[in-house]
Amino acid sequence: MNPDPVMFRPGAEQVARSRMSELMRAVASATGRPIPDYAALQRFALEDPARFWSLLLAFSGLVHEGDSEPALLGDSIELAAFFPGLSLNYAENLLASGPGREDDRPALTACDERGVVTRLTRKELRDRVVRVARALRRHGLEPGDRVVAVVRNGAEAVIACLGAAAIGATWSSTATDLAAAAVLQRFAPIQPRVLFAHRRLLQQGQERSLDAHVGEIVAGLRSLELVVSLDDEPFEFESDTAQVLTLEELTRVTTAAVKRPAEFEWPRFSFNHPLFILFSSGTTGAPKCIVHGVGGTLLEHWKELVLHSALTPEDRLYFHTTADWMMWNWQLSALVTGAEVVLFDGSVSYPSEDALWRLVARERVTVFGTSPAFLQYSRDLGHVPRERVDLSALRAMMSTGSILHDSLYDWVRANVGELPLQSISGGTDIIGCFVLGNPTLPVMRGEAQCVSLGLDVRALMPDGGFGAGPGELVCAAPFPSRPVGLFGDTTGSRFHDAYFAQNEGLWTHGDLLELTPSGGARILGRTDGIINVRGIRVGPAEIYSVLTHVPEVVEGMAVEQIAPREPGGSRIVLLVVLKPGLVLDRPLTLRIKKELKARASAAHVPAVVVQVEEVPVTLNNKRSERAARDVLNGLWPKNVDALKNPGILHVLRDHPELAVRPGHP
Amino acid sequence: MAPTTQPEIRKVIVDWLDDNFHFGDAAKLIKDDEMSFLDNGVLDSLGFVQLVLHLEDSFHFQIDRKDLSRDNFDGLGKIVRYVMAHPKFGANA
Repeated sequence: MNPDPVMFRPGAEQVARSRMSELMRAVASATGRPIPDYAALQRFALEDPARFWSLLLAFSGLVHEGDSEPALLGDSIELAAFFPGLSLNYAENLLASGPGREDDRPALTACDERGVVTRLTRKELRDRVVRVARALRRHGLEPGDRVVAVVRNGAEAVIACLGAAAIGATWSSTATDLAAAAVLQRFAPIQPRVLFAHRRLLQQGQERSLDAHVGEIVAGLRSLELVVSLDDEPFEFESDTAQVLTLEELTRVTTAAVKRPAEFEWPRFSFNHPLFILFSSGTTGAPKCIVHGVGGTLLEHWKELVLHSALTPEDRLYFHTTADWMMWNWQLSALVTGAEVVLFDGSVSYPSEDALWRLVARERVTVFGTSPAFLQYSRDLGHVPRERVDLSALRAMMSTGSILHDSLYDWVRANVGELPLQSISGGTDIIGCFVLGNPTLPVMRGEAQCVSLGLDVRALMPDGGFGAGPGELVCAAPFPSRPVGLFGDTTGSRFHDAYFAQNEGLWTHGDLLELTPSGGARILGRTDGIINVRGIRVGPAEIYSVLTHVPEVVEGMAVEQIAPREPGGSRIVLLVVLKPGLVLDRPLTLRIKKELKARASAAHVPAVVVQVEEVPVTLNNKRSERAARDVLNGLWPKNVDALKNPGILHVLRDHPELAVRPGHP
Repeated sequence: MAPTTQPEIRKVIVDWLDDNFHFGDAAKLIKDDEMSFLDNGVLDSLGFVQLVLHLEDSFHFQIDRKDLSRDNFDGLGKIVRYVMAHPKFGANA
């Protein structure tokens, strides 16, 4: 007998009082159309998108000015404009006062692995944000100027980000563990004027200086005019182009002028004004600099956090992330719901291997966002979190970053509790999710509960039609969190090539999707060459860039393969072609790995390096990561005829180090 | 054949540390057999779990999750002693 596929079913009262249900009633009232359930709401949203987004904006209560009509101009996903007459401010909306968002309520709790905790009320956070905003303005920063950051996941990073956003500057951040060369690849093209950075790194209880690391980044960014240390003490380097200050020094000059910070007037910006630039590395070229707008980010995040995640001012959200992942921006937006955001800076396993569960218990976290890798780690340790710590405040969990295997749903139910485990998935490219949780629907084992409201997500089948999948995840109608564009792509051609050229008229995301009979969805992996290992996205192009520093290597190809002993997990396999006569021995293998860690990050290091005589290429001499990936995952590529050297596929299939081994149950 | 001698067991562990974390520097990093891996940046707990899975694969036995403690695994000497004392050690060699 098959086990019951329903892992959690919300109670009738819980469904009725959710904001999602409230929206259904509001839409029914406004349109005279019966909206009995989520499916009906989604049908309405897709049939009348302009009306839907207009009603959603009004329902959201987001602070804005200008005309909210038209809600949508154009029907091309690539070119459509949402709310062209509307202006708003991201930081203002996150920090506004109101019912459930009173000034004295907790806004931010930042914890580190030593147990140091910083707590800020909404007023305290707003005051600090305003001080940074005024200081940046005093330094001549203008709307649209780029502010970049190399930061730990701490309160200062949030304050700097919102301070920049408050005056219309555009924010980009990375974590402190990305190599300087990789940071420069991301930041140099966007010509930032300001850099915020931490001076110290905490790792497994050890403190390490970031002076040299940040100094190397500053030296490589000639556009910088201001560098700000987010730790108490100043950086030990000097810059011949930029002023180097501490955060205290930056804001001190304005202290006298900020006796009454509440008087700060929040400037409002057009819906598509650039708010964040995120980075995504592919199989070729430099990382894409993806520009996300104020309105699209805010409206989509509000929808995902309030409606799908059901966050309220009574919640405390902890989503495990670092500042170089879009989930950092996403969890930050939870301030708009009135919920308290909990941050954690440190290792998930320090000072004890269950440190994260202890944090969840100690801070009375109500919604805990994590990854399949962390759940698997807890399971491998044999932990029963509900027996080790008090999880009575926890009401929901989320998981994203990679595929959430069916067995982890059972593990969570048995070892954490009977709560909704929401698998959510989207990405950097849309700074949000295509599939999510839903407080009105049951959780089915192995499934995301639903497709995101108002997003026309479909599975494009190999025959070119739409179906249940598995098929290419595409979006077939305009959506507000579509990026504004790619930075520096003045003609829009790179933007078109990245998302629209593969299937004209559709947004092609690069994920493999299955839509389930229950209305849910499963993400089955990537359809392009981008690698995702334990939730960290790695562009093979960055690996190839590092390989140019290993003179023995003529060519490399990095592909993702199902990991042995890790259900739903994967690993990086690196194929290398060496100069004639050379043999890949252990010292060379280790040197390749060492270079990748030093020049990119630990996430770029392959689990396996294998020497090959050639990599698969098409008849047009285009390298085919996809063919290599298919064969390394037990599939025979469909387009063998399009390959110039199909014989290499047999070599890869039969290589003893590359055999696909099933994961353990 | 699973490794059976103390030098072979040490090599399995050090090679794995090199392959996954230290890329040739593991032996240099481990000053002595009793040095804590967790306190000296040789391994964090996430890596520790991966090492346990690798030991299970290499020596063909299951490690009881109740045994996962610093006393048994936080150091080269401790791991070698644990492996050699395991009731199934050598059974499938």
